[in-house]
Amino acid sequence: MRFILTLIFFIITVLSQGQNKQLLYDVRSLPQSLMSNPGTNITFDKHLGIPFLSQIHFSAGTSGVNLYDIFNDSNPNVNERVTKAIRKLTSNDYFTAREQLEILSFGWRLKNDDYISMGIYQEMDIFAYFPKDPAVLVNEGNKDYINIPFNFSHVSFTGEAMTVYHIGLNKKIDHQLTIGGRLKIYSGIFNVESTDNTGYFTTMDSPEGPNYYRHFAENINVRVNTSGYKSLKEENKSVEEATADLLKRSFFGGNIGVGVDLGFTYKIEEHLIVTGSVQDLGLMFHKKDVENYLYYGGYQTDGIEPLFPDAGPGGSTLPYWDIFEDEVDKNLKDETLNEAYITWRPYILNASLEYGFGKFYQPCNCLVPEYKRSINLIGIHLFGINRPKGLKYAFNAYYDRKFTQNFRVKFAYTVDDFSYTNLGLLVSSRLKNFNFYLAADNLLGYFNLAKSNSESIQLGFQFVFDK
Amino acid sequence: MPFLKTIFQTLLLVLFILGLASCVKDVDLDQAKDIGLKPKLQIDLLIFDVSETDFVDTLTNQQKTIIRDTVRLEFLDDSYVQDDLIEVEFSFKYINSFSRSFHNKISFLSENNSVQHVVEFNIDPGDKNNPAVTEVIDLIKLDQIQVIRRSIKMAVEIETLPGNDPFTGELKFQSKGLFSFEF
Repeated sequence: MRFILTLIFFIITVLSQGQNKQLLYDVRSLPQSLMSNPGTNITFDKHLGIPFLSQIHFSAGTSGVNLYDIFNDSNPNVNERVTKAIRKLTSNDYFTAREQLEILSFGWRLKNDDYISMGIYQEMDIFAYFPKDPAVLVNEGNKDYINIPFNFSHVSFTGEAMTVYHIGLNKKIDHQLTIGGRLKIYSGIFNVESTDNTGYFTTMDSPEGPNYYRHFAENINVRVNTSGYKSLKEENKSVEEATADLLKRSFFGGNIGVGVDLGFTYKIEEHLIVTGSVQDLGLMFHKKDVENYLYYGGYQTDGIEPLFPDAGPGGSTLPYWDIFEDEVDKNLKDETLNEAYITWRPYILNASLEYGFGKFYQPCNCLVPEYKRSINLIGIHLFGINRPKGLKYAFNAYYDRKFTQNFRVKFAYTVDDFSYTNLGLLVSSRLKNFNFYLAADNLLGYFNLAKSNSESIQLGFQFVFDK
Repeated sequence: MPFLKTIFQTLLLVLFILGLASCVKDVDLDQAKDIGLKPKLQIDLLIFDVSETDFVDTLTNQQKTIIRDTVRLEFLDDSYVQDDLIEVEFSFKYINSFSRSFHNKISFLSENNSVQHVVEFNIDPGDKNNPAVTEVIDLIKLDQIQVIRRSIKMAVEIETLPGNDPFTGELKFQSKGLFSFEF
């Protein structure tokens, strides 16, 4: 129990990070910008990522509590602070972890000037709302919550791991408009989801009897869907077998899904650019290795009622407990099924408006007007990711400066559920055709991660070529 | 080219500074070992409502002075009780409209019916229009908690005490336990 609690607090605090990659969005010299907007007005003509190193991204976060809130060393009563944190968090607070590792990434410009890009990346995404009422019930019990219902709809979480195979096309329609699309095939490794649960557990005062209280479990309907879990928990499975199984699933041996990214860039005028994109508009079809856990029904009890019958042989009496258990089992059902299910991917929305000023750079080909850019760019970017209870937003304002042809820096200020003090920095540098970038969010938080609700680092190495 | 070299060095410096500057301070992670859950659960136990007919032997039709019944409480054998229960506060309440007193004996028994804990008290007489309420609270602290951990059954025994008033009325029983755990 302590280990689990410690692990939970470690995840929600030390690894507190954002869930978006705002610093990489619309950075037109980086191939990764095509992954967040396939319609980015890119400025390169060919790219080849270093396998496994072209993009490494990890983010995790929590809204509402950090490591310091729990393990503050000035007060020894840690349990008091755990209780305080649980009381402070709401069922709309959440924990999230997201990881992406680009395995392969490459692309080139076609003769008709379209740009084709493709690759493979591995992704893991975990998202859980804080199960407020169940957490209070487990931590404090019902003693101080008589007549107050514990709501089981607070249990809402999703988790998935997959390999994504993708191919995208970026097309310049004219001097003003660039559009793009990307087709994605998802090869599922693991999935778990439990959303849209319902139900209440209430202990009511019962002054009219028949007992002190009456316990109600009402409208309970909790369902946990899993795919890729059943076979992993099988006994007698060696680590080698489990690893081989996971690898097989990465290459379409498991469940399959399909999705698209769509995006555009539009120059309202030479210095003013608007962009928009939607990522991962897709579905996963879970048919293989599926297991569903259901708990549903309703029941109420005042306690067990002995009937004082004449005692049987040996003083035996009625099996009250068995009768009670049968009654509970009849009304609150616990089932395990193997039903196929479908999940939506957590789609992402991006929109930005950017204004450029300062003299134009003509980095590669001064005859291609689209490649021109100002030294300075300022912009705003709205990010949204769909979660079980709706979109989670982040808004940032940025300043992007190109110091030389091969060195740019982007500063960003982001407001999201995690923080109002998120200052981020992206540095991208090219040595001939070799490009390296590093993006870090919430720089202030690095000085004491314990008090931080948001940190993030992305980095990558690749070759980028211009004609 | 020296300029590019400087830039690259700057990048490395940024990485280095990020790595150096990042730290976790003002926290004592050793406190993790002290984290525990301490729920207190109010749980209804037994209820009943007996009248004079329950004190009649169905075979002989004779009045009985003692009635008793036993209920298994299987949850007392569960690991969370065996390992993590630290205190129980039982509440027992009788509402008596008999104009006679009773003697109550509640016993907690082990699997082989050996008595682990007993709560005995007299139930006050009431009357039809004004039932008497007798309530007893029984606190079992950590140093005695083994008696509950060893128990699996709760037996209730009610004995009518001598009296001349007519033997009619209702005797209602309510009971609950406030179970305190430390996980």
